[in-house]
Amino acid sequence: MYVPHSDIDIKKIYKELDISSLDELFEHIPKDLLLENGIDVGDSISELEAIEYFENIAKKNKSDLVCFAGGGHYDVYLPHTVKTLTMRPEFMTSYTPYQPEISQGVLQALFEFQSLVCDLTEMELANASLYDGATSIAEAISVAINKTKRENIIISQSLNPNNKEVINTLIDSDKFNLNYVELKENRFPDDYLFTDKDAAFVVSYPHYNGSAQDLTNLVTRAKEKGVISICYVDPTLLGILKTPGNMGFDIVVAEGQSIGTPLSYGGPTVGWFATKKEYARLVPGRIIGETRDANSLKSYVMTLRAREQDIRREKASSNICTNQTLNAIGSAIHLCWLGPEGIYSMGYQAMQKANYLKNLLEENNIDVINSESSIREFVVKTSKDPEIIIDNMADNGFLAGIKYDDNHILVAVTEKRTKDEIDKYVKTFVEVNND
Amino acid sequence: MISGGNASSLPLVGGLPEPTIKDLSKPGRRAFNYPKLDVDEQEINHECIKVEKAPLPEVSEHDLVMHFSRLAHRNFAVDLGFYPLGSCTMKYNPRFADWVASLDGYANLHPATPEKYSQGSMEILHVLEDYLLKITGMDYASFQPPAGASGELTGLLIIKNYLLENNLENKKNIIVPDSAHGTNPASAKMAGFDVVEVSTNQDGLVDVNELKKLVNKDTAGLMLTNPNTGGLFEEDIIEIAKIIHDVGGLVYYDGANLNAIVGICRPGDMGFDIVHSNLHKTFATPHGGGGPGSGPVAVKEFLKEYLPGPIVNKIKDRYEWYQPNKSIGRMHGYHGNFLVSLRALAYMKLLGKEGLDTLGSFAVLNARYLSSIISKILPLAYEKPCMHEFVTTSKELKKSHKIKAYDIGKALLDKGFHSPTIYFPLIIEEALMFEPTETQTVETLDDLSETLNEIIEDLKNNNDKLNQYPKNLPVGRPNELIPAKHLTVNWGDFELLEITE
Repeated sequence: MYVPHSDIDIKKIYKELDISSLDELFEHIPKDLLLENGIDVGDSISELEAIEYFENIAKKNKSDLVCFAGGGHYDVYLPHTVKTLTMRPEFMTSYTPYQPEISQGVLQALFEFQSLVCDLTEMELANASLYDGATSIAEAISVAINKTKRENIIISQSLNPNNKEVINTLIDSDKFNLNYVELKENRFPDDYLFTDKDAAFVVSYPHYNGSAQDLTNLVTRAKEKGVISICYVDPTLLGILKTPGNMGFDIVVAEGQSIGTPLSYGGPTVGWFATKKEYARLVPGRIIGETRDANSLKSYVMTLRAREQDIRREKASSNICTNQTLNAIGSAIHLCWLGPEGIYSMGYQAMQKANYLKNLLEENNIDVINSESSIREFVVKTSKDPEIIIDNMADNGFLAGIKYDDNHILVAVTEKRTKDEIDKYVKTFVEVNND
Repeated sequence: MISGGNASSLPLVGGLPEPTIKDLSKPGRRAFNYPKLDVDEQEINHECIKVEKAPLPEVSEHDLVMHFSRLAHRNFAVDLGFYPLGSCTMKYNPRFADWVASLDGYANLHPATPEKYSQGSMEILHVLEDYLLKITGMDYASFQPPAGASGELTGLLIIKNYLLENNLENKKNIIVPDSAHGTNPASAKMAGFDVVEVSTNQDGLVDVNELKKLVNKDTAGLMLTNPNTGGLFEEDIIEIAKIIHDVGGLVYYDGANLNAIVGICRPGDMGFDIVHSNLHKTFATPHGGGGPGSGPVAVKEFLKEYLPGPIVNKIKDRYEWYQPNKSIGRMHGYHGNFLVSLRALAYMKLLGKEGLDTLGSFAVLNARYLSSIISKILPLAYEKPCMHEFVTTSKELKKSHKIKAYDIGKALLDKGFHSPTIYFPLIIEEALMFEPTETQTVETLDDLSETLNEIIEDLKNNNDKLNQYPKNLPVGRPNELIPAKHLTVNWGDFELLEITE
C-alpha cells in the first residue's frame, strides 16, 4: 500500500543492486532476529471498508452530549475557516522549518502566532508551542528553577488535578519541594508570605474551581522575594479579563485547545508559553524571529537555536523537538477570526450565560459554592455521588460537568450554549439531583 | 527529467514579502459572527474585568483566508514534492486518515468524558496498542507521550523508578552513542541521569569494546536506535543488550528509525526493554510543520506497572482505564495526542498484514537503490549496506572546491527538492543524510540523483555561484544572526530596531 513500484521498477532496482529478492537486503541481520511469519494483524482493508469500521467505533463515543464540562478544555465554536485553513496540505504535511527559504509560510504563521499570544497576554516573547497546558506549566517551573537556582515551588492547589500530576512527574521531588497551597474563600491567600527560597509561584487564572482574583499584589509580593510568577490562563477569557502581563507575571502558559482546536479527546491541543525577553535564553522549544535575506527581503527563521536539544544536547533548555505547530497555526487563525470584538464576545457571552445558569440553579435551591467570584466555570453541590449525577445527566443528553470531589461537580459554560440548553440542563439537573 | 517528486514547477518564485496579518488590520473590520446573546444581560462587577479590548488584528474573513492561503503557498510540503530528509521519514500521509480524525465522534469528544461514554476512543487505543505491540515485540503500551522526546523521557523515568524500586538508585549513567539524536542526551539529563557517550567505530556501529569498558555498576541503561542514525543495523545488538543487562541496566529503543524494520525484525526480540514509536514517522501521520506527533511507549511485562497512566484495559466487552500501581505519573494532561494515534491506526488498517510485513523491505529497497546511485556522485560515509537511510559526505568537495553540505542543500531547494538532512549525525564531517521512504517512485529517486549531479558539476565549474542558491524561492538565505542578537520575535520588533539603529 502506497508503495508505487511496478514489476518493471522492481526489476530495475534489483538490477542496480544486483539482487533477486527482498530477503537479500537483510542478510547482514542476525538470522535469529528475522521474523518468520511477519506481523500477526488482520488483512488489509479498503478505504470503503475502513469508513464503516471507523464510523462504527466513533458511534460508541457520546460526543453529542451537550457539553458543560471544562477544566481547561472547552466546547467553543470552531469556525470552518479555521478548520479548512489548518487542513491546507502545505501546513499539514510540511516538516519543521529548518530550511527557511522553502518554509516561509509556516515560519511566518508561527511568528504571527507568537505575536498574537504576546498581544493577548501582554507579554514580550512567546515560543512556537509546547505539547499542552499541563506540560507547559512544568516547563515554566523548570525555567524558574534554572533562573533562580532555588528549591521551593509554591503552587496553587486549585489546578486541574491532571496538571498537578504532570508537574509531579516532570519536576523531580527529590530535588525540589512542591508546596501546594489551598485556596481560602476561593482566593489564593492574598497575605501569602513568599521567601527567598522560593523559585516559582504557580497559579491558575481563573482558578480550577472557576473563581478569578486580581493577582497583581501577590505577584508584586513574589517579585520582592525574587520569586518568578507563572500564570496558567484560560485564553478564551482574555477578551474580558485583566491580562497576566498587566498583573506583572513573568511567565504565562495556557492550554490553547479552545483557541483553534476541536476538543479532540484532549489531544493534539497546544501549549502556549509567553514570557519576558530577559528570560529568552531559558525558554523551551522553538522560537521564530524576523530577519532579512541577502536582498533585504523580510524573512523569518528559527532563532536562539543554541537553547535547543539538536545543538546543545544535554545542556539544552528542554528536550522538546516535535511540538504542536499545526495547532499553534490554528490558534493564530482563530484569534484573527475573532479579533478584539470576537474574543470579547466569546468571554462576555460565556460569563453572562454562566451567570444565568448560576442564578437558575440557585433559584432551584441548588448550591453554587463560588457564585460571586467565578466567571464562566463554577462548583455546584450535589445531593449524591457526582458520578451518578453525571451518569444520569448523560442519559438525558448532557455532559453535566467534571467530578470535583465527592459531593461537587465543576460546571463550565461557553459562548456556544443557548438559553434553551441551559433551561433544560437545570430542569434535568434538579430532577436528577432530587431523585 | 520528469518525476512525481520534483516540485520545480511550483510558482514559489520570489516577489514581495507577504505582509503580516497585523499590517492588514483596519479598525472596524471583522470576520467573527456569533448568535446574539439570548439570556437576560446582567451587570456583572468583578475585580478582574477589564474595560479595554484585546489588541487583536481586525480583518475581514476574505482577507484572513487570502493571507493564510498565501502563507501556505510559500511553503514546501510532502504533498508538493520529495523530502529526502534523513531521520524524519517523510512518507506520504494518506488523506483517509485525516478524514477519520475529523469524524465528530472522535474530534468533538471532551477529554473528561467518563469511560462509559468514550468506549469508542478507548477501543481505538486498545486496537492500536495491540498492533503496535505486535510490530515492536513488546507487551504493554501507554499513549500519553505526545512526541518522541516525551517518549524518551517517559522511558528514562521508567528506568529511574524501576531502579529506585530495586534499590539501585546509585546507577546514574545513561550511555548514549555519539551519533544519537540530541533529544537522547537532553532527555537523559531531564530525567536526572548523567550522560556517558560511547563512540561509533569505523564501520559506523557502536564500538562494542569501548562499551564494555564504559559499562559498570553505575550504568543505569543504554539508549539506542536500530538501525542507528547512520542508517546501519547494529549487528551486535544482542551482545550489546546483554552487556547492559549483565550489570543490571535497562535497554531503551529510540523508535525514530522504526520504519526500516517493520515486518523484518522487532526491538522486543533484540533485547530492548522499553520502546517508543514515532507515529508521525513510521505510521504516516502528517508532521504539521513540526508537530503534532505521537510517541507511545511500550514496555516488557516486568515494567508494565511503571507506565504513565491511565492505560486502557479490556475486560470482557468493555474498556476501562487502568492506573499502573507504580506509575511514573502523567506525561500529558489527558491521553496524549489521541487524534494522531487514531490516524496511525487508520494507516495500519489500510496496510494490514501484507502492507506492514513489507513496509520495512520497501523502505530499505528504496534507500539501498538511492544510495547505490548517489554514491557515484557523493561518497558514502560508511561502506556497510544501509537500511532505510544513508549518510554521504561532501568533505572532499569542500577541500577541493569549497562546496559545503549546506550549499548543496540550498541548491537542491531551488531545483524542486527539499534538502536532505545536513550536518547530522554530528560525527560525520559535511554529512548529507538521505531517507527516501517507501512511497517515492524510482523516477523520483533517479531525478534527485541526476539533479544532485548537475548541482555539484555546476558548483564545481562556477565556484562564484556558491552562495547564490537558492535563487527561485520566496527568499534567499536569511540572516540568522539578527534575530538571535536583537530578539526580533514579535511584529514591530524589527522595525523598531531599524529606527533605533
